[in-house]
Amino acid sequence: MHYRIALFGILFGLGWIGCKTKESKDEPKKIAIVVSTLNNPWFVFLAQKAESKAKQLGYESKIFDSQNNTAQETDHFDNAIASGYDAILFNPTDADGSIVNVKNAAAAGVPVFCMDREVNANGAATSQILSDSYSGCVAIGKYFVETLNKKGKYVEILGMVGDNNTWNRSKGFHSVVDFYPGLKMVAQQSADFDRNKAMEVMESILQAHPDIDGVFCGNDAMAMGAYQALVAAGKADRVKVFGFDGAEDVVKSIRDGKIMATGMQFPEVMAQTAATFADEYFKGKRDFPGKMPVAVELVKKDNVENYAAYGEKE
Amino acid sequence: MPIAYSRKNFARFQSLIALFLLCLALSVLSDKFLSFSNLWNVMRQISVNICISVGMTLIVLTAGIDLSVGSVLALCGAITAGLLKNGIELPSQNLYIGFTVLGAILAGGLTGSALGAFNGWAITRFNVPPFVATLAMLTVARGLTMLWTGGFPISGLGDTFLFIGTGWFLGIPVPVWISIVVVALAVFLTDKTRIGRYIYAIGGNESASRLSGINVNRVKIIVYTIAGALAAVGGIMVTSRLDSAQPNAGISYELDSIAAVVIGGTSLSGGRGSILGTVQGAIIIGVLNNGLVLLNVSPFWQQVVKGLVILLAVIIDKSNGKNE
Repeated sequence: MHYRIALFGILFGLGWIGCKTKESKDEPKKIAIVVSTLNNPWFVFLAQKAESKAKQLGYESKIFDSQNNTAQETDHFDNAIASGYDAILFNPTDADGSIVNVKNAAAAGVPVFCMDREVNANGAATSQILSDSYSGCVAIGKYFVETLNKKGKYVEILGMVGDNNTWNRSKGFHSVVDFYPGLKMVAQQSADFDRNKAMEVMESILQAHPDIDGVFCGNDAMAMGAYQALVAAGKADRVKVFGFDGAEDVVKSIRDGKIMATGMQFPEVMAQTAATFADEYFKGKRDFPGKMPVAVELVKKDNVENYAAYGEKE
Repeated sequence: MPIAYSRKNFARFQSLIALFLLCLALSVLSDKFLSFSNLWNVMRQISVNICISVGMTLIVLTAGIDLSVGSVLALCGAITAGLLKNGIELPSQNLYIGFTVLGAILAGGLTGSALGAFNGWAITRFNVPPFVATLAMLTVARGLTMLWTGGFPISGLGDTFLFIGTGWFLGIPVPVWISIVVVALAVFLTDKTRIGRYIYAIGGNESASRLSGINVNRVKIIVYTIAGALAAVGGIMVTSRLDSAQPNAGISYELDSIAAVVIGGTSLSGGRGSILGTVQGAIIIGVLNNGLVLLNVSPFWQQVVKGLVILLAVIIDKSNGKNE
């Protein structure tokens, strides 16, 4: 019984403190960063860069992790609006499922700036700063065709099959590669963006198709996993591996000639642009571009010296 | 405990038939399946699942469950990798502690054991249902992994360490050796020792065991500690295979592991089942994963097929229970 009384006491206390600190005039404005997942270094990087830029601009800022779950994201939005955040830098879990969250925030007068991934509704978000995955994979597809000399057998390793990005990347790649009848896809399997799974899937595929010439992976973690399976099978120098993201391991591997190419995204640029837009919004600016694409650049052996992980300049 | 033993033997028999049929079907459908290199692949891939499923079997035999294995695996792998790569630095004390491969592995193993012991303590001391206590640990250990790694993988761990996951010894991959040792120890524990008999007894009837003087709490804490330690072994193997500790390693491993236990004929209500049954369950899942990829089955269908196989196994298990 005493436990319960104490517990209620603590809860009331917390609630009271919560109410007290809300909205007094001279406090800095607060920016919420709602990110689809922190289970992937790429998104951790995106969130951290957004947070540090917001703090640098003099705002209070906090990261919310939606854990790839749109329902959780809705809770974060409700909480952020209720606890008086003034803007949301947003990396959506789902292009359609997240629309309602953005609209709710807009209705409550809280501007939303999307980073990396979009929501499929024009004008719902104040601005969307997007990574152009599709075009990036078109570029990878072109380079893939070129390196394989337009003929050969290849394998595609997909990310999570329920994820928009998986299919944007796959479609961009196939929009080029499918025009070359000499290039034959002998296996298309999913490894959930996971390095270990990609390694295991690749080991099995190599049993069925020991004579492949290339592998396209939906992200860099999987590219590393596939490459390790190829090394173990003694085929690493014959099979060409392509990734996407621009992660540290892969940039280094491209430099060493182990992996052929990746699509470099610029999470820092997107995060900082979003934070800067929020700053400008607070200062009265209202006309932002509805969509602002941030190009994905093809990184290969002969230009890798210009890049570091996640597009950071050293 | 003669009844438990006879039932154990039957469960062993039944999953062997399923495994045989599955292998037969796959070798007809794909000529690559029955090659040595492919079978070694399968064995190496399932060795992690075997390790954590052995721990899970012990827990399920006491009528408990452990949902935290995947997160504990990730944390232990990350701690081992972090200590190996960076050691511990305390700039304020001007102190740096480096770790040898053995030291880092021990630290990882101790972490797993400690978290397992904590699970057991929470379950027995506060009477928290195992499902809830380990669900909490699932989140806590994942969070600790994120804190330790900062959300980024720890890579580049050196060749000595890589031997654990990628090396060969006497013509057999090292991870397979590790899982053989783990299984042998666990079979000895369940079949030849007093604690093994207590584990079955507690799962069969906990209050009767308590009344007959078995220190139920102590046995449970031991069992959860072993499971934690085995999750650490799995984490170290995964980390070594990849030359990298991934913060999101081991997500949903608890499901694969529970599936292996259940397909292997161990009853989720405790008291009935065997380590060797679980090994067969793990092999069935591994063979299924491998076969579906060999046949290039669409990833959408793979999930459906795997789910149906698990369901089928449980249905067979249930109907056997009724017949007896």
